[in-house]
Amino acid sequence: MAFSVAFITKNHRVAGAPVTMSSDTGRNYNPDVIKVEGCPAKAGIKQIICLTDAFKAQLSPEQRQIVQLPYTVSDAKKWNNLPQNMVRADIKAPGLNFGTMTTKQIQYAKAVIKALAGPAANEGWDELQQILNADEYIKANGKNLVAGRYGDNNINIAFLGTPALKGTFEIQYGGHHTAFANTYKDGILVGATPSFRGIEPFDKFVWNGKENQPLQQEQAAFTAMLTALDETQLATAKLNRAYNDILTGPEKDTAFPATPSGVKVSTLSANQKALVLAAINTYVGDVADAGPITKKYTAELNDTYISYAGTTAMINRGDYVRIDGPSVWIEYSCQRGAIFGGTHPHSIWRDKKTDYGGNIQ
Amino acid sequence: MRKCIVLFLLGFYSIAVYAHPMPSSVVKLSVLDSYIKGEAKMPLPELESALGHPIASVNTALFTSYFINHIQAVSKSGEWHTTIQSITTNDAQDEAVGKYRQVIVQFTLTPANVNDLRTFTFKYDAIIHQVVTHKALIYIEQDWNNGIQNESGARQAGIIGMDIASGKIYPLQVSLEEGSAWKGFKNMLQLGMRHIKEGTDHLLFLIVLLLPAMLLPEKKEWGKFGGITYSVTNLLKIVTAFTIGHSITLLLGAMGWVRLPGQPVEVLIAVSILVSAAHAMHPIFPRREIFVAGGFGLIHGLAFASVIANLDLGVRQLVLSVLGFNLGIEIMQLLVIIMIVPWLMLLSVNPGYKWFRIGASLLAVVAACGWITERLTIEPNIITTIVDKITPYAGWIILLLMAVSITIYLVKMLSRKTALS
Repeated sequence: MAFSVAFITKNHRVAGAPVTMSSDTGRNYNPDVIKVEGCPAKAGIKQIICLTDAFKAQLSPEQRQIVQLPYTVSDAKKWNNLPQNMVRADIKAPGLNFGTMTTKQIQYAKAVIKALAGPAANEGWDELQQILNADEYIKANGKNLVAGRYGDNNINIAFLGTPALKGTFEIQYGGHHTAFANTYKDGILVGATPSFRGIEPFDKFVWNGKENQPLQQEQAAFTAMLTALDETQLATAKLNRAYNDILTGPEKDTAFPATPSGVKVSTLSANQKALVLAAINTYVGDVADAGPITKKYTAELNDTYISYAGTTAMINRGDYVRIDGPSVWIEYSCQRGAIFGGTHPHSIWRDKKTDYGGNIQ
Repeated sequence: MRKCIVLFLLGFYSIAVYAHPMPSSVVKLSVLDSYIKGEAKMPLPELESALGHPIASVNTALFTSYFINHIQAVSKSGEWHTTIQSITTNDAQDEAVGKYRQVIVQFTLTPANVNDLRTFTFKYDAIIHQVVTHKALIYIEQDWNNGIQNESGARQAGIIGMDIASGKIYPLQVSLEEGSAWKGFKNMLQLGMRHIKEGTDHLLFLIVLLLPAMLLPEKKEWGKFGGITYSVTNLLKIVTAFTIGHSITLLLGAMGWVRLPGQPVEVLIAVSILVSAAHAMHPIFPRREIFVAGGFGLIHGLAFASVIANLDLGVRQLVLSVLGFNLGIEIMQLLVIIMIVPWLMLLSVNPGYKWFRIGASLLAVVAACGWITERLTIEPNIITTIVDKITPYAGWIILLLMAVSITIYLVKMLSRKTALS
């Protein structure tokens, strides 16, 4: 981009004046986390409880009531990949909207999510922040936008159930192109899905002082996985119909094909199998506690199928790839850009057994 | 009427926009007397995905046979006959996806047995047969026997899309209530009433024409109150003439015997208000009001007729529609007259009525000019915007009129009594 980031930052402060609920003046755009004092440095349930308590302590009693809700499956199912203010009222995500929070409160909220998210560059927390950068980029550069549609404050955080050592709770974080849902039972992560990631623009853009292209790793991993197949395998992997979207978006819970399509991973070489696992890891790596999940998906790898539609480039409209295992379900779809033309990806990671912590079966 | 259509479109929008990378296809079915008329709208990029190549023109024999193959219905009496009337494209806009080209297909579906018209399997899978992420939202836009027509709002019949578990595309079972001629008639009657209630222009013409109806014309000015018998007779004559006028053209227009383009008719209706307002200020055609009322009634009737003519009804339904719609118009018209005229008569006894009459006429002139401009330019302007905002308060305006007229009457009575004693 020709213009400087500092210039945009300054302009942004003037343009977007969010509702502030404390004495904080103004708000930095897409702020990063704050270092929360007094919480354990070691990852785990105690750190999570400490960080959620620290965040709640920053809130007014009214805000606390909005963010801390009882655990219900019906609230857990309310998420959407569209900007929240475009979503039908009855399925709007529960919780506190960042637009109603101060910079400091947002930084405490983000400290919670960062602790739950994976640490790798362009994955986990870094990916979530870059998706928010993209929404800021849309807000600044999109043409003929409805005011208030896009921006880093159009995102929600909710605690369904009180974070504690005993019992069930879900930490839900989502908005445009984002759904992050970690469910804990008796202190253990029992579900990290449904997990939605999308971005527009897909191409590299400069924002918030850095170059952003967080889903490029996913695209590259899928292309590597598919192009490693020989001609016969590729023909088996090809789906015979067209996909312009993912199948299992919001409100499509528990809907998976009864019979898997594509090429079975057990028929692949060790090298090809490693590439399937690498593609899976661009999603599982989005959570900090990825170890047990990776172990499960590795054990089930031979019974997993991969399939695709369109081309293997995963950049043209209609390019689509799916990883379908006994538990794992990943879809990645390139669709028309709504704001800047070209294409942009929508993708989802679901787990057939532990979506919403396994509470919807 | 415009308001209804906007709400109707918003209704579609909220369903269609949700969570789709490209809007779903929208299929609207009109159940007519022996066949179903339909319209399917779909995004061109999705159709291109289905065919696997870019599309230069949709108006080809290839697309006609494509849509015949993918828009089908079947019932007890067997496969229905599909015809494709037209395939066109236009620009559409959707906030979730931006601008895109849209394909519009007009078609008909005819069963072998007319009794099957309301219970059938709709085998629609255009685009969906290949693009499995696509969906079609199916609506019943018009079903006369059940009192459904565009203006009263379409009903969603279902959604056709791939079932993820089986990978199959199940057709939609359509089973409409039998309905009845009475239900259809009643709906048309309500539509007629609503048309007058919301059709500010029709009412304003009539009310303004009635403003001087109780006065005696004297040379070039309106004179005194002509007495109750004179007023009532004159009022009835004017209203009857207007009714006869619009009934004639409503019938002719609805039957399709006379059809004028909408815009000049709408402009003439606004002009009719201008004429009646001028007459209310100065007698232009004294004692010949019935011809003016009847003549302009002919014009107003043409506008009423367009509502029914657009429904493509069979003869029996058409006759009942004309009857019901006209009856609705008369009932509403009569109600409004009963609510307003007594207070006008009460006021017209006073010499000050002159200023009320002229003031009201001037307001009507302003409104008429606003409408004429709007209907010529097809752009709303400040006057029509204000009129639209005031219209919902018409009831309060009538109450105010009532209060003022009664107060003046009582004050006069009291002062006369005081003078006598």
